[in-house]
Amino acid sequence: MTGMDPFLHDLIVFSPQILAGLKNTVVLMAIISLTGFFGGIAVFYLELNGNKICRKMTERYISFFIGTPLLVHLFLMYYGLPQLGIHISPLAVSVIGFTLNVSAYNARYLMTAYNGLDQMELEAARAQGFTPAETFRSITLPQVLRLSVPSLTNQVIQNLKDTSVAFLIQYQDFFAQVQEIAATNFEFFKAYMMAGLVYLTLVSVIVVAARGLEKRIALPGF
Amino acid sequence: MALIEVKNLVKQFDDKIVLKGVNLELNEGQVKVIMGPSGCGKSTLLRCLNLLVQPTSGQIIFRGEEITRPGVDVRRLRRNIGFVFQHFALYSHLNVQDNVTLGLRKIRKMSAREATDKAFHELERVGMFDHRNKYPAQLSGGQKQRAAIVRALAMDPVVMFLDEPTSSLDPEMAREVVSVINKLYLENVTMLCVTHDAFLAKYISDSIIFLDEGVVLEEDIAERLFYDHPNPRIREFYLSVVDLK
Repeated sequence: MTGMDPFLHDLIVFSPQILAGLKNTVVLMAIISLTGFFGGIAVFYLELNGNKICRKMTERYISFFIGTPLLVHLFLMYYGLPQLGIHISPLAVSVIGFTLNVSAYNARYLMTAYNGLDQMELEAARAQGFTPAETFRSITLPQVLRLSVPSLTNQVIQNLKDTSVAFLIQYQDFFAQVQEIAATNFEFFKAYMMAGLVYLTLVSVIVVAARGLEKRIALPGF
Repeated sequence: MALIEVKNLVKQFDDKIVLKGVNLELNEGQVKVIMGPSGCGKSTLLRCLNLLVQPTSGQIIFRGEEITRPGVDVRRLRRNIGFVFQHFALYSHLNVQDNVTLGLRKIRKMSAREATDKAFHELERVGMFDHRNKYPAQLSGGQKQRAAIVRALAMDPVVMFLDEPTSSLDPEMAREVVSVINKLYLENVTMLCVTHDAFLAKYISDSIIFLDEGVVLEEDIAERLFYDHPNPRIREFYLSVVDLK
């Protein structure tokens, strides 16, 4: 290994941990994107069709999670709850914390798209005899999801980038491994540049997939 | 027994009374047109009749059942009424065929095959079969309205409500829609139609209800209402809208 760049050398030595960290990052992103997607739909449904109290509560839930930093939620659960005797693993805290946060954002995106829907279509569904749940499933949701694809896929990108804060609650993600290398060889610039490039590559994959999805679901005539 | 009987129907929005005691009857196989100046309550009346708008007081009796009493099955009522909107209100994410079959599958609980067969039959009936795979954004106004009529008609409603079906169409497209509605009239489809279109009113109606300031001022056949009516309010209105040369 004589003559090899010391950073490259460390990279090769640490590669099993880096790959494991990368896998953890992708797994966390995939889980929270899915749970946040379905959570967002559930919150959106309750905001539309729940009773008055339910609608008020969902509105407060959204305001709380959009209005407070994600890190506070994660720290509260990971470092705060043990003081009450509740111990949760870093992965579980990440999944719960991110899901609550991402669901709030996704619900807001869906609600914004809903406000752009032709309300006459919903009246037509009522006039036809559809229940609110049937209207939601067959008319509201397909349209709102289609309109929200750019926002929802941007949120997936945001999820990927935000997973890097999970290392602060001991989750062994990709960024945690990069920190480790940097702390070993003090090559901070190279380590973080490499991290940036890896995130950019992953984001590019998501962007290409998102544009493909947008094209696939575009309606003729629009 | 009348199919629909309306007794002293009142609808108030905040401090504005839109309907001030409307009475009307519609029998099976009959077509009545509701006309009147803008803001006289025509569309509100139609929406009250299928409870899209809740009446303030009065009675609506549909097939012998009072539907204005509490606890009425609103969905069952609406399934018997086909509603056609001024601005079409087609489901924009579905093509014409799916617009028609959605209600058949979800509400009438038909299989996909049965719903498609029924949709094809109804689309043929109004000359929309060749457009069945198009999305609403790909249709002209007249085609959209014909598709909306098929969507309502396919549910085999007891009565069709048409809310200004030609108002947002140019004259050529309006004629296209009038000819479809006229065809339904000749097939004895029971209809209640709100319109400003004197041409439509004349060619599809058994009688015309003239509504003014929330009350029924007159009900008569087109010929007697349109020309030289003794009531100056009605005469004035038809002078402004009738051009039946």
